[in-house]
Amino acid sequence: MMQTAIAILKKDLRMEFRSKESILAMWIFSLLIFVIFNFTFEVSRLVMLEIAPGLLWVAFVFSGMFGLNQSFSLEKENGNLRAMALMPVDGGQIYVGKFLSVTIIMLMFEALIFPIFIIFYDLQLSLGMFKLVPVLLAGTIGFTSLGTILSAVAVHTRNQQILLSLLLWPLVSPIIIWSVTLTGMILSNQVTEAFYPLLLRVGAFDVIFFTLSYMLFDFVLED
Amino acid sequence: MDVPALEVSGVSKDFGRIIALRSVTFAVQSGEFVSVLGRNGAGKTTLLNVISGISRPSDGSVKLFGTDPNDRVNKAQLAVISHEMFLYGNLTALENLEYYSRIYNVPDAKNRIDTVLQDVELKHRRFDLVATYSRGMTQRLTIARALLHEPKLLLLDEPFTGLDQHAIGMLITLLKKQKEMGRTILLTTHDLHTAAILSDRYLVISKHKIVRDGWMKNSSPDEIRAAFFSAEAGENDS
Amino acid sequence: MRSKIDKIILIVLLLAFLASVYLIFQWVPPIKASNPAEQIAQRIFYFHVPSAWLGFLAFFVVFIGSIAYLATRDRKYELITVASAEIGVLFITLVLITGPIWAKPVWGIWWTWDVRLTSSLILWLIYVAFLMLRRYLPDGSKRANLSAVVGIIGFIDVPIVYYSIRWWETQHPKAVMASSEGSLAAPMFFTFMFSLATFTLLYVYLIRKRYQLLTLEDSLNKQFKEMEIL
Repeated sequence: MMQTAIAILKKDLRMEFRSKESILAMWIFSLLIFVIFNFTFEVSRLVMLEIAPGLLWVAFVFSGMFGLNQSFSLEKENGNLRAMALMPVDGGQIYVGKFLSVTIIMLMFEALIFPIFIIFYDLQLSLGMFKLVPVLLAGTIGFTSLGTILSAVAVHTRNQQILLSLLLWPLVSPIIIWSVTLTGMILSNQVTEAFYPLLLRVGAFDVIFFTLSYMLFDFVLED
Repeated sequence: MDVPALEVSGVSKDFGRIIALRSVTFAVQSGEFVSVLGRNGAGKTTLLNVISGISRPSDGSVKLFGTDPNDRVNKAQLAVISHEMFLYGNLTALENLEYYSRIYNVPDAKNRIDTVLQDVELKHRRFDLVATYSRGMTQRLTIARALLHEPKLLLLDEPFTGLDQHAIGMLITLLKKQKEMGRTILLTTHDLHTAAILSDRYLVISKHKIVRDGWMKNSSPDEIRAAFFSAEAGENDS
Repeated sequence: MRSKIDKIILIVLLLAFLASVYLIFQWVPPIKASNPAEQIAQRIFYFHVPSAWLGFLAFFVVFIGSIAYLATRDRKYELITVASAEIGVLFITLVLITGPIWAKPVWGIWWTWDVRLTSSLILWLIYVAFLMLRRYLPDGSKRANLSAVVGIIGFIDVPIVYYSIRWWETQHPKAVMASSEGSLAAPMFFTFMFSLATFTLLYVYLIRKRYQLLTLEDSLNKQFKEMEIL
């Protein structure tokens, strides 16, 4: 039943590993964001620590747009979006495939940029940082679950990149707000009892966004 | 009598300020080869989109083998060839075909891929990225991709546009073979010559309507040409 | 028939607006505030809150219209959706303008990143993006489908945005923000409800007019096309 989703995922990952277009672009772009932030906000280390979680998510979200745009650009290129509409499967299956590939690519990019982030901002590594794993996972899934369907919407316009940002950012702002808060708790070593309920909440909204997109994807493919 | 392979009854596509089809009605029996003739913008592509289930008619209904075109069973029996390739440049020919064979659940995929690659004479290039192919080769691979899952109904939207001579010849041979195998084929084209060679029957579509429905064998080439051009002339009058 | 109803609504609307201007600026007693500027500024509340209510109503109609469209594929619902989204954006814009006008004399600042301000701004951004999407797509069933999908996701997102910003806000202590409305006195309540009803009627009138205009555009375009064809 998941055969189509897996076929799409495999195809996307194979192409990504071959060209490394998305991951490389995202990585370099994040690096640029760190550098530019450093120049534009000349702040003390203490303040830097306070804004670091926000900066990390700014880098993720801005760079994540590359992955999202790329994911459907290559589907549109040779009419593959139409081929998808012709497939003898539920549109939701296609959504799951694209969602998985975008999410995996983005998580890999995050894993690659995080060490740089640690070095640049001289953060103390500790066991507590493992708590970041579920936070990054939940935040990224929230971003990509909405991002995948909106990218499939935006790809039909001429101004794909701009439009995707316009559509996605306001809608995904709750997930980002919470992810920044959670990340801040971990980086400042102040994980309060509010941590897990909040993480759960992000997870709950991931489920809402995912389910909604899954149900609506058929309409995106239809002409 | 058998259920017709394709039954279009009273189909209109009329959305907002766009009119694309007006109560189009016809049926195609299994094994028939039908050419839909008409100039660009007459509604041929919309007709194929409605038949393939991508687009919903605003009025009327389409039946493939007696059921809705969006039934999975029907979608699995359908193939579309158009100017769009439906291929990924960053994958090899083999990978592209493997991808589609997984999605269409092609039995014994390995052999089947071998066969279609041989049919379009691309077996020697199967490990090369599609991006490195010449235009003609890409188009041949597109044909292989479409025939991969042995569709019962083939929809061809101006498939000869932009093809080189070699690919045209190959496509004609393959289509003839498909016809012998009893497949139903619907071809839109503005090229009367190839339509006359291949098809049993023709429909002339003009002003979003079908203005003529006839058998190739009962009509002289001049007659078909006259029908086609009178429809065109009518459009040009405005 | 249609235009007759519109005329009646328009006349009622004019009278209602005249009445509400009287109620707001003459009849209702000023609030007790130490700051005289606040006494005057407070009256904007009777425009500000109904505008916000109207925005929400309009976006709710976008949501329902989008579902109805996807269920029926009827152009009618697409046009209602567009009309309502446009009106909603217009009124949330008014909210974003009247808010700072009130805030400046009362809070001493134009803008603060408080829950309501921030969520109104995000709400506005969501529906501006919705209208932008439509501008970038050619007319047709594809556009109708895509905008209906965004119309549904957008509305479901609204409470989530509000919720998240409220949460985020309580994390950040607020320097400003001392709400002046406690319980509304009877004349204030009456004036407020009257204004609310007037604005709702304005919405009804505007959406009718906008919808009629859109259908008119459609039929005109179709007639042109017909003439070209025939």
